[in-house]
Amino acid sequence: MSKQISGALFTLLFLAPLGAQAPLRVAAAADLEPVLPPILVQFEKSTGIHAEATYQSSATLTTQIENGAPFDIFLSADLGFPKRLIDAGLADSTTPVTYARGTLVLWERKDSRLPPPSLDLLRSPALKRLAIANPERAPYGRAAVAALQSLKLYGALKPRLITAENIAQAAQFVDSANADAGLISLTSALTPRLSAEGSYFVIPRDLYPPIEQGAVIVSKTRQRAAANKLLNFLLSPAIQAEFAKSGLTPVK
Amino acid sequence: MDWQAFALSLRLASVTTAILLAIAVPLAALIVLGRGRWLAAVEALATLPMVLPPTVLGFFLLVLLGPRTAFGRGIAAVLGHPLAFSFDGLVVGSVIYSLPFAVQPLVAGFSSVDTALVDAARLLGAGPVRLVSSILIPLARRSLLAAIVLSFLHTVGEFGVVLMLGGDIPGATRTLSIVLYDQVESFDYAAADHTALLLLGLSVLALALIYSKTRNRGAGRA
Repeated sequence: MSKQISGALFTLLFLAPLGAQAPLRVAAAADLEPVLPPILVQFEKSTGIHAEATYQSSATLTTQIENGAPFDIFLSADLGFPKRLIDAGLADSTTPVTYARGTLVLWERKDSRLPPPSLDLLRSPALKRLAIANPERAPYGRAAVAALQSLKLYGALKPRLITAENIAQAAQFVDSANADAGLISLTSALTPRLSAEGSYFVIPRDLYPPIEQGAVIVSKTRQRAAANKLLNFLLSPAIQAEFAKSGLTPVK
Repeated sequence: MDWQAFALSLRLASVTTAILLAIAVPLAALIVLGRGRWLAAVEALATLPMVLPPTVLGFFLLVLLGPRTAFGRGIAAVLGHPLAFSFDGLVVGSVIYSLPFAVQPLVAGFSSVDTALVDAARLLGAGPVRLVSSILIPLARRSLLAAIVLSFLHTVGEFGVVLMLGGDIPGATRTLSIVLYDQVESFDYAAADHTALLLLGLSVLALALIYSKTRNRGAGRA
């Protein structure tokens, strides 16, 4: 009996990894964290390809890929970072593939004493701390600053901005009530936790340049076929419809 | 070079070190001079911040000191603003984060003082304050210096706690290590090199200072 167990353990620890196909490694922008996991499960069901995703700000992932991180495909939250990789000869093709568009929302906890989320909330002097993602590296942060500039509120709000490392942390700052409100992604606002705890207001789309989310296949990949399959899977009508439900705007 | 961040890091490290000394000297004395099993628990608690990843520690503090707890609301009422995203918040985080680096050298130093001296002083009627100020501290000066330098440097190099608790506000919470991270993330490697060199230079200088002090004393004794 114990021999069987140790034999099984041996197989599990040393032999199983040899037999298993290396997973497809996906570098995914932080706004995809609530969206992608069930889609990757469906992808494995329909193709048999196991994919594992790492979620970070698009800039962090770009730096990591530039320095040899073993990713096969990069799903950015913008087009600039994938273009940067293409220009450096680190990604295939000549232009990133737009797989979805992002939506910026103003999110606030339901137990907040301030007025409900709206453009008026942004104008309210009672709003002391507004969380945004870092505009230098997070596409949603850039969109947030652009929207505030269009509203001519950036100057007034600048001293009250709390800059988070990425869009997920911006949401967390508001969720923990340390910031009064936050400009975050609709994908975060629609997660079960945040939709239970708070409410959101969609920032009018004409206030910021569209958040075009682009994908590229990393040139060093040894799984180009599998990576291409995932990209086509993301562009398929079923998944695009799923994107729409989770807060991304379909492109097809 | 971001001199504002440089000054902020030095200010944060100085304030943190001063507070840590005020906490760590009595705490270390208690651990060394006191009796009872609960002291082991005290020492363990004082070492605990070394175990937690700094980002996790920062997250706990963000939630614990945030407006959603009674404790956090109490602090906000006293200060007039929530603790997170402020210099005060970073000081609280840094004190907890660097506590083991102040307590450990002092415990080691105080323990190495000859117990005969401590007992003699006690017999002559010295109270705990006198014991610490006239016996333990003078005889464990090296450890005191080590505690100061380590707390200071550990706070200058602190990153995870500041990232979670800070909110990247220039002049209030954007420390040198955050600037370095921002520079790397915005692909500005030349500026990052300069910032990193400054951090390294500062640390080498401080460590050389502490080691030269301990060396001189060793040579004098021989």
